[in-house]
Amino acid sequence: MMHAALESFCADPVKFLAPWFVLLPAFVLLLSAAAAVVMRNLIHAALCLTLSFIALGVVFIALGAEFVGLVQLLVYVGAVAMVIVFAILLTRPEQLEKSRSVFSGIGPAGGAAIAFGLLATLLGFIFASPLAKKPLPAPAVAPVANIGEALMGNHVVALIVIGVLLTAALVGAAVIAMEDQP
Amino acid sequence: MTLQILLAISAVLFALGLAAVLSRSNAIMILIGIELMLGAANLNFISFWRFSDHPSDLTGLLFVIFSIAVAAAEAAVGLAIIILVYRNLRTVEADDANQLKG
Amino acid sequence: MTEFLENAPIALLAWFLGILGSFGVPGWMLEIISALIVIGTVIGIFLGLFALASVMERKILARVQNRFGPNRVGPFGLFQPVADGIKMITKEDLVPRGADRIVHFLAPVVMMVPALLVLAILPYGRGMVPAELDAGILYFFAVGAGTEVAVFMAGWGSNNKYSMLGAMRAIAQLISYEIPLVMSGITAAMIAGSLMPSAIVAAQGGFIFGFIPQWFVLTPWGFTAGLIFYIGALAESNRSPFDLPEGESELVAGHLTEYSGFKYATFFMAEYVGMFAICGMLVTLFLGGWQAPLPFLTIIPSWAWFLGKVCFVAFTMIWVRATLPRLRIDHLLAFAWKFLLPMSFAAFFSAACWHFAGRGLVAWLLSLAIVAIPYLAFGIHFSSRFAISRRTYRFSE
Repeated sequence: MMHAALESFCADPVKFLAPWFVLLPAFVLLLSAAAAVVMRNLIHAALCLTLSFIALGVVFIALGAEFVGLVQLLVYVGAVAMVIVFAILLTRPEQLEKSRSVFSGIGPAGGAAIAFGLLATLLGFIFASPLAKKPLPAPAVAPVANIGEALMGNHVVALIVIGVLLTAALVGAAVIAMEDQP
Repeated sequence: MTLQILLAISAVLFALGLAAVLSRSNAIMILIGIELMLGAANLNFISFWRFSDHPSDLTGLLFVIFSIAVAAAEAAVGLAIIILVYRNLRTVEADDANQLKG
Repeated sequence: MTEFLENAPIALLAWFLGILGSFGVPGWMLEIISALIVIGTVIGIFLGLFALASVMERKILARVQNRFGPNRVGPFGLFQPVADGIKMITKEDLVPRGADRIVHFLAPVVMMVPALLVLAILPYGRGMVPAELDAGILYFFAVGAGTEVAVFMAGWGSNNKYSMLGAMRAIAQLISYEIPLVMSGITAAMIAGSLMPSAIVAAQGGFIFGFIPQWFVLTPWGFTAGLIFYIGALAESNRSPFDLPEGESELVAGHLTEYSGFKYATFFMAEYVGMFAICGMLVTLFLGGWQAPLPFLTIIPSWAWFLGKVCFVAFTMIWVRATLPRLRIDHLLAFAWKFLLPMSFAAFFSAACWHFAGRGLVAWLLSLAIVAIPYLAFGIHFSSRFAISRRTYRFSE
């Protein structure tokens, strides 16, 4: 068993290691996401969240979705993470976080239990499904030119709607956060 | 590597996000949980695209691009609302913003 | 001779790998060794440029200010970087007591990584791109976004109010100037029809009438977008006149306040390497990359043209630093949002019109009009609002 693995490694290490290019960043992703959820210090949570965004982008790139992975890095690391950090700094909470949640009475243990129940259900279905046992097909490539043509062709309405939505969100966020005029 | 592993990773990520939303009371932490759940959904789209029989059909990728754009808008508006709540109530606890409660 | 010099770097690499291959080294290991050699060469060149720039900047600033500058260490003070390096390494590494030790330690590392990563996609010469990415321009901006995280980590991890203020200013500035930077960069990518840097350089090849190079900077939209990109590049690399985050006279060096010794040297290095990288991007997008400016100058190899252009742009940045005073933070942000952003949209629109009007003389005049009219309108608008008059004192009277 060990010997066979060593042999296939020596034959073509790049092919042997290929799954780990996905699994390793995925491991970092889960670890940093878990850290972001349990950290008491908000800034540490936000930094762990940033790391998980980066790891998610790397997973996308390793899966062959180069363009989407880079967009993920540009938008999430460059913008969303920084906006979250700014919000944390602008709202220095005077008291520590309370231990009860929105659904008064659930508490952290209850929330974690619900999430764990959902996870168990999902994992049960995933591992029972025959669809999910599909082997890995040949590496897929998505050239940027094709993505651009699809965005400007079949999906142009969605693109325009997203543009309108982003403009509205930008104006709305500025209006909401603006100081009241005296 | 099979589709199972990727789906399991994305399920764990989603559960982590849900746990953050349900058990943390700070509004910013709730937003962080929502971002994690959106990331899990995006990972699902990409995995199904990677394992599909027609990878030249780019719908999975385009959906993720749109989803990222919507998530950016959502984060901007959500954080603006949190800042406004903080300015008026001096707190970012989601429970304390309850002035509409009868 | 020209042919030989042009292909020298690639031929040298192939020769070395051939020797290794004849010793029976397997193919996959050759690939890894070749990648490592390329990475080492690129990083070596840029660290050499950094060492050169750190002394040349002081010499040029001294020349502008009519003094000598460093001239003690070695001939003309050329060994100054060595002395600086020894000083930096032997200095005590101070960490403030209240600092967040992990974040404080990681910030210089996080700063250095994107600065080195972005070097991967620059086309250094004909066929000399370390990583030929389909979405190279996007990669440049996406990886460059990591700098903001590093600046924030440095400012917050130091647990110092000046550091925090400097970091907040720096992030506000980086985010604001990123938008015009990306918009003007996308303009060049749109005309070239590709996000691949080598394709953008290839689109700028050839000469009109046999002597005018087809660089994007020589069209009205390209000139505007290139200028916006240059200003954005100054701001992104925290250079004067946009060096507010580190304004030593008001913020005691901003997010760098609590860093000393090797960590400070790492920040310094990352800043210079980042500056050269963004100069390289400017050269690639607008100044024709490795293309020679005149037909008979093609005897000089392409990589020499690229390095020469990068050094020239870096020189103008030092020149600007010696000439212009620092801006105020609100002016800085207003300049980005109220002037650079609309102008970058105008350049974008102008480029589209230039392309669809046939890229001839008519197109040239049309795109000039589309860029000039908003520029003049902004100028009239601002000059009517901020008329030069007697200075008024709002608070002291």
